[in-house]
Amino acid sequence: MKTSDKTIYKNMSLCSFGNGANLTAVDSKDGKIVRMRPVHYDEHYTKEDLNYWTINAKGHTFEPGMKTLNSPFTFIYKTRTYSPNRIPFPLKRVDWDPNGERNPQNRGKSKFERISWDEATDIIASEIVRIDETYGRNSIFCQGDGHGETGSIHGPHGTMANLLDMTGGLTMQARQPDSWEGWYWGAKHAWGNEPLGQNTHQHNLFKDISENSDAVLFWGCDPETTPWGWSGQQASRLCFWFTEIGVKQIHIAPDVNYANAVHSDMWIPVLPNTDAALQLAIAYVWMTEGTFDKDYVETHTEGFDWFEYYVLGNEDGVPKTPEWAEEKCHVPAYRIKALARYWAKHNVSIGHCNGGSYIRSCYSHEPARLEVYLLAMQAVGKPGRNQVKFIEWALIGMDSFNPLPPGNFLPEVRACYHGSVLGELPASFIPKTLVPQCITVEPGEKVEWYGHTTSRHHRTDQFKKFQFPQDGDHGIKMIWSDSPCWSTCWNGGNEFQDALLNPNLEFFLVEHPWMENDTLFADLILPISTTLELDDFGVDTYSGQFNSIIWEQKACDRQHESLSDYEAVLEVAKKLEKYGGVYEDCASHLSGDMTVEEWQEVGYQGSGLPEEEQDLELIKKQGYQMLPTREGWEQEPAGMIEFYEDPENNPMETPTGKIEFYSTGLANFFPDDMERQPVAKWIEESESHQERISCERAKDYPFLLVSNHPRWRIHANFDDCPWTREIETCKVVGIDGYAYEPVWIHPTDAAKLGIENGDIVEVFNERGTVLGGAYITERVIPGAVLQDHGAETDPIVTGVGGIDRGGANNLIAPSKTSSKNAAGEVTGGFLVGVRKCDIHALMEQYPEAFEAEHYTIETGTNVYDYLQEA
Amino acid sequence: MKTILFDASLCNGCYGCQMACKDEHCGNDWSPIAAEQPTTGQFWCKVEQTTRGKIPEVKVQYAPVMCGHCENAACMEAATDGAVYRREDGLVIIDPVKAKGQKAIADACPAGVVYYNEALDLPQKCTGCAHLLDDGWTVPRCVDVCATGALKVVDEEDVPEKAVPMPAAAELHPHVYYVNVPKRWVYGVLVDRTINEVVIGATVKLVDAEGVEVASVVTDEFGEFRFKELEEKAYTVTASIEGYEDVALAADTTAEDVVLGDIFLSAVA
Repeated sequence: MKTSDKTIYKNMSLCSFGNGANLTAVDSKDGKIVRMRPVHYDEHYTKEDLNYWTINAKGHTFEPGMKTLNSPFTFIYKTRTYSPNRIPFPLKRVDWDPNGERNPQNRGKSKFERISWDEATDIIASEIVRIDETYGRNSIFCQGDGHGETGSIHGPHGTMANLLDMTGGLTMQARQPDSWEGWYWGAKHAWGNEPLGQNTHQHNLFKDISENSDAVLFWGCDPETTPWGWSGQQASRLCFWFTEIGVKQIHIAPDVNYANAVHSDMWIPVLPNTDAALQLAIAYVWMTEGTFDKDYVETHTEGFDWFEYYVLGNEDGVPKTPEWAEEKCHVPAYRIKALARYWAKHNVSIGHCNGGSYIRSCYSHEPARLEVYLLAMQAVGKPGRNQVKFIEWALIGMDSFNPLPPGNFLPEVRACYHGSVLGELPASFIPKTLVPQCITVEPGEKVEWYGHTTSRHHRTDQFKKFQFPQDGDHGIKMIWSDSPCWSTCWNGGNEFQDALLNPNLEFFLVEHPWMENDTLFADLILPISTTLELDDFGVDTYSGQFNSIIWEQKACDRQHESLSDYEAVLEVAKKLEKYGGVYEDCASHLSGDMTVEEWQEVGYQGSGLPEEEQDLELIKKQGYQMLPTREGWEQEPAGMIEFYEDPENNPMETPTGKIEFYSTGLANFFPDDMERQPVAKWIEESESHQERISCERAKDYPFLLVSNHPRWRIHANFDDCPWTREIETCKVVGIDGYAYEPVWIHPTDAAKLGIENGDIVEVFNERGTVLGGAYITERVIPGAVLQDHGAETDPIVTGVGGIDRGGANNLIAPSKTSSKNAAGEVTGGFLVGVRKCDIHALMEQYPEAFEAEHYTIETGTNVYDYLQEA
Repeated sequence: MKTILFDASLCNGCYGCQMACKDEHCGNDWSPIAAEQPTTGQFWCKVEQTTRGKIPEVKVQYAPVMCGHCENAACMEAATDGAVYRREDGLVIIDPVKAKGQKAIADACPAGVVYYNEALDLPQKCTGCAHLLDDGWTVPRCVDVCATGALKVVDEEDVPEKAVPMPAAAELHPHVYYVNVPKRWVYGVLVDRTINEVVIGATVKLVDAEGVEVASVVTDEFGEFRFKELEEKAYTVTASIEGYEDVALAADTTAEDVVLGDIFLSAVA
């Protein structure tokens, strides 16, 4: 029997900006995708071809393996392509008339009607020209960044910004470092490590840990979840390897995350966003017992005495003892002491995987800086003592982000890339965290902030002040989004929903494959193809095995009337060309008058592969080309060893070149900022945030919410997949036959609240309510509840004070940023109340919100429930 | 014959095997080996998860339950008209034509891995990906996608001695074996709460109902002790530490693992 008639290759990462991972073989038969599977390198390559690497330690050997280590998301992706929630054709909101009443108040409420591509692109072109002539180009705001598929030629994100840029300008959304907030806004001021603030000297760190570390602290880190979208399952194999060679894995988090559940040797439960208290108490133990590396602190750091003064209580009369910390973080004082003493005696590294309440809650810069302090007190850079990441092993195209044996070079897609480049911003831009405030800014008023806020900008950029709108501009009249998941993935989504109703906003245009999240609020929607329907060019550089270059081909025909983002923007450009002037030949300029296949060739030729190794015929036939491991990688210095050995000649990127306990830059520019002082501290509450269990608000909202990067989604992606939705920890089906996002509650809390397993519950605060399904478990600490972020919004009532059935808890996150002068997001570790939900009462009160006829437990919400019946 | 060996010590619970099985069989008709599987509801490879322990020692155990292509297949015995047959390679296949209407085939399986497709009026189950093996594959989808090596195909004679037949169909001689599934465990921490210190280096003993010492460990740098690979029995944990009252705590593992948690010692008066 024939089990397929065609095989093509794809990068199936969701890194979004061209970098890729998860090389995958896609089999199809009769034009239909039948399966997606790992690639076996030995089909075309020998170990010798790949310069196959191994790490040897303690008599054991770690091997990368000869097949790809795809995350399970790879194997279910066809359900996204064939999803019943795909937007089938261009749609227009029924009561949005570009030539008459626009009814902005009905965004998110009224339904949609089918229009043609021709009609849609006519409207878009004419709106762009009208808004440009009436208000100026800075009134067109583009949201073109991240949280979606990875493509190059078809530029899944930001292609429209290129069109607008070449024809007169735009206001761009600046994607702030959403998964790295604390590192970016805090750790950079302590140890540089540009541009993210996480350790960027990661070469050979897994070798170093294997050989020299006694333990790794997984601090708010889940190698079994976050890496799935970016780099597959090598991180998981490394955890098994550490078990094999006896490297102790200690997890510090409020929850038993999925790595903790299978790999940990020890778990230290801590209340969400109270790690700073735990860290301060560890420092206290070391200071009072004299168990830190004083010589290193003397030679490698600046300002230790300021920190010591604070920790010992000389500044505020409160010594930061383990007993003091216990009250804040609920880790018993005896366990804090034991951890501090273990750490002082052994070689300990810290592992990270992004996200969670450790690094993106209020004042996240404090735990980030405090971690750097603790690492410095134990001589960071010494063999076995480093900070390592289990994810993003070629981030920002930086080879030094790779802690595993690297490839001989990092291939890239830049030559054929049509998306936006993170960090390249026009004069008018808005930090993603401040979008609602900027949409609603009153005439004559300004929204102000510091820094360009993207993960490409240097520490000193955080001292520059910016504002929106620019003088003489008219605010946001049009939004063009190809990343419509602000409401479910950013900070304070209910405010964003309200902002979208602002009458100043005349036109909200969305490109997207699926009817979900912000798309529900659009005026016009363009249906976009998924990657499996497209020829493209890609690389795999994040997987932690070997690098590869991929000649991507489509696995099936276009679904419905969809076009790629690139093609959709080109269709608009063609219509704009008719207006002449600045628009003359703009479509030609964007496409270079080249076919996709010609772009693929350009991509290949510009990938960085030496000309003598290029073989177009081979890659077209084979679908991918593997690159060998770099010769001599074993000899490359591990982690921060060079700084450790010779700080004078290998300085950090701080003003003093040393690790700064006292951040001299912050002291100079923000001397009066009590939320981010020159020395990292415990901030109980402040002007920006009252999100502690000690706060007055905690009487009404007594729980701290853990909101991790989701296990069964990548941010807002995958919530329509039937094969994840039937997994126990993915959805909880309520008595009303609706599949709710699980809310983990400890049995003691559940008993107090009168909640039983499977009950529909409300998670709420004054910003609104999201529903969930109770999942009663020992996997979360009492006093905290856990609900992953990114569930698809399904509003019962939109906006602030609203109710969301989907469980998109970012809707009720604070809209205030990390702190006054740090424009990071706060999307975890905030206060909520929890109670049993009377779903029947809600049904009676809001009958129109429960009328969906096409909803199924299998795939969730359905586009046809948003269409006006013909 | 070829046998699936599941190593629990290498399973990370990613459900990749369960989902890849669906990728292979839902929406794909591989007749005459198998008809289409419905989108949801059937699990030809079903990952079961069990949460073990209590704060602060909590583990999750995963195990795939799948067709054993049993030596003494109950489904074959329940079938009439040769609707379930064994191939030369040992795989047990439900004939999607002959089996129509034979619900007894589904009911017969003690592991519950034969499903009844009401829409097609057909019992259905894992085929061992026979259609792929016939097309040159060497392993089924569930094994091919496993990134950690937890699922392997081995010859039955190479199944390690300590492995056990998949418990869900143990009586029928299944060709699925489990290895390294942790037996019961007991965990605790010795603490002097009056001075907020864990007690390090103390000897802790595990004693069975007959008073026989089963194991003895010394508390580590975190004051923790762990007894592993225990039987399902009523044990007692004891410790005699100078300066403190003797400890004797019940640790009954009959039904579940035991977390004694933080044990606050009392100083001798």
